[in-house]
Amino acid sequence: MNSIANRFATTGPIRELKKAQTRVEDDEFSDSVWGSEAGFGSLAKGVPNFTVPSVPDPSSFLRLHTDDFADPNCRIKIQHGTTTLAFRFQGGVIVAVDSRATAGSYVASGTVKKVIEINPYLLGTMAGGAADCQYWETYLGIHCRLHELRNRERISVSAASKYLSNLVYSYKGMGLSMGTMICGWDKTGPAVFYVDSDGTRLKGDMFSVGSGSTFAYGVLDQGYRWDLTDEEAQELGRRSIYAAGHRDAFSGNTCNLYHVKEDGWKFIGNYDISKLHYDGPGETPGAGYGYDIRIERTAAPRPIAVQA
Amino acid sequence: MSIMEYNGGSVIAMVGKDCVAIASDLRLGNQALGISSNFQKIFPVTDRIYLGLPGLATDVTTLRETFRYRVNMYTIKEEREIEPETFAHLVSSTLYERRFGPYFIEPVMAGLSRSATGGFKPFIAATDLIGCLNFAKDFVVAGTASSKLYGVAEGLWEPNLEAEQLFETISQTMLNAVDRDAYSGWGVVVHVIEKDKVTTRTLKGRMD
Amino acid sequence: METSFALTGKGYVIVASDTTAARSIVKMKTDEDKIKVVSPHLLMSYSGEPGDTIQFAEYVERNLRLFHIRNNYSLRPSAAASWIRRSLAQSLRSRKPYSVNLMLGGYDVTIDSPHLYWIDYLGTMTEVPFGAHGYGSYFALSLLDRYVLSYISSKANTHFFLFTYRYHDPEATLQEGLATLKRCIDEVAKRLVVSPGKYKVKVVDKDGAREIEL
Repeated sequence: MNSIANRFATTGPIRELKKAQTRVEDDEFSDSVWGSEAGFGSLAKGVPNFTVPSVPDPSSFLRLHTDDFADPNCRIKIQHGTTTLAFRFQGGVIVAVDSRATAGSYVASGTVKKVIEINPYLLGTMAGGAADCQYWETYLGIHCRLHELRNRERISVSAASKYLSNLVYSYKGMGLSMGTMICGWDKTGPAVFYVDSDGTRLKGDMFSVGSGSTFAYGVLDQGYRWDLTDEEAQELGRRSIYAAGHRDAFSGNTCNLYHVKEDGWKFIGNYDISKLHYDGPGETPGAGYGYDIRIERTAAPRPIAVQA
Repeated sequence: MSIMEYNGGSVIAMVGKDCVAIASDLRLGNQALGISSNFQKIFPVTDRIYLGLPGLATDVTTLRETFRYRVNMYTIKEEREIEPETFAHLVSSTLYERRFGPYFIEPVMAGLSRSATGGFKPFIAATDLIGCLNFAKDFVVAGTASSKLYGVAEGLWEPNLEAEQLFETISQTMLNAVDRDAYSGWGVVVHVIEKDKVTTRTLKGRMD
Repeated sequence: METSFALTGKGYVIVASDTTAARSIVKMKTDEDKIKVVSPHLLMSYSGEPGDTIQFAEYVERNLRLFHIRNNYSLRPSAAASWIRRSLAQSLRSRKPYSVNLMLGGYDVTIDSPHLYWIDYLGTMTEVPFGAHGYGSYFALSLLDRYVLSYISSKANTHFFLFTYRYHDPEATLQEGLATLKRCIDEVAKRLVVSPGKYKVKVVDKDGAREIEL
């Protein structure tokens, strides 16, 4: 019944897509699509438009063919597993992420950059659809720059995140998938906003997103204080990502760590999670975060476990 | 979600010159959540046969107990140790007994069988979950990382490897394959079986 | 949501379980004891399908008792765990399987050491230094794995943090173990959407099993 109603509706996203379809079929491409205007040709008019599959209900068509939890056997697999976190403290914002991309059980990459450097003062994190996050956060970067040029001052983190939130909300129900933290420093000091493709936008001190987020929270909550020193805060971010990388099958490989201060963000380092397990972040072998490693290090001789 | 992927885990066995090797990872998971990093999937059957049981963890334990019982009964009745070929058929028929409600395990076995002249001949085999035997001359793989193991083993394995070289080959195969599989890993254990000794080593694998 | 934790320490095992009995969206009872003392040195926490849980727990309890009456000694934790696992594994392939997840903590008096087994409704069993069932495990395991920040408090209302990392420690005293458990419970209360309210905590050591007020 609903689909029939949708087909004859004159408003709503389905109708918009229909209109877009007719436009595409009429070959109404502007020249800007073909790579002029600094490579963002399709964005030239401020409102990007996309070609859509030629079926009655494009968003359900997409859902049918993408890797949803309901049906892992479908053909298009979108990156799912991730752990990202960001928290605010006395010394700024810490942003830490893992670097694993999985397609089903296959570890497709171990070197994904999940922190998107929007501009020298803004960072975005990536969870959910990789392409969605990358595209829209880059797009956000363009608009942050335009804001700067128009208003002669940097955009606030709040405004930037609101811009993104409004943008993805306009595509609600069409299959966008992103859970991101927009982090930065503005007039109000350090700021972290959580924005997702449902249209949720939350201001807060600490967020973690992705399949490994629960594990990260477990560590983060125990170690977090507002008056953490810079070193302590960086260590906390690193340890939290390590914990998630260890326990969650879909997170891991390496940890990318950023620190945002008053003068913009700084990349602190890339840490191999397995090296963190065995040796820790420093250069001392055997000083790792790993449970077994630590037990071996500290415990006096223990009774040998009896095999069941 | 496939039931074969519920707990994760993989096993591989390889033939060398007068020796065989079998290796597995040590992870026990609940889908994405890792539970234990010391879950053995390879068990000694006799001094010269090792059996790997990747698949659903409850069946790993159940089948391990079943095979221990059946091999013990065989040893008592026959008054001799079971030979790898015989054991392979025992595995096959035990699994086929459950043809219409299978154990979710794809066993891999490695051993040395006694030849007519009194020497030893390398033996490896694998079956599917209802007992279809596959005797191979090079290597056999099973588990969630099986497709990745095939790729690496195809590239690294060569005939007539000595025990130490075989250990290196199977270790590198296992370590690199499980790093590409989300459900396998958390440590690797390798057994190399020679005519007079079995060497067991636990490898330092990636822990994520 | 049902949650249970267990952890080992120097000469003891702590087992904790929430105390809610829920049906549909209603909490029917908030002080249900879901940890059974199944033999003098063996504790079993159970969660899962209502009905199955208590039936299976009593089945285990009675059989272990029967063994004790027949043989005049109790099964060791490893043996009891194997038997319980097998019961679940056999039940899995029966017409109506038990849907019960267990944490089995025991003290082996013959070799003077604590043992903890993680067992799920499929009959998957593994010995662990600490473990958890339910949604709580997603928060508590990483915490137990490696991160407990210990602090010393002095003066009124001022906490001075001593920046040392503490983890689950198999050599910890009972007091330290309970403090770690408290952290797990607080973490789950903080982060889980429908977090359980109260917990029952039991300990088993060389002197047998007893309940502890947290």
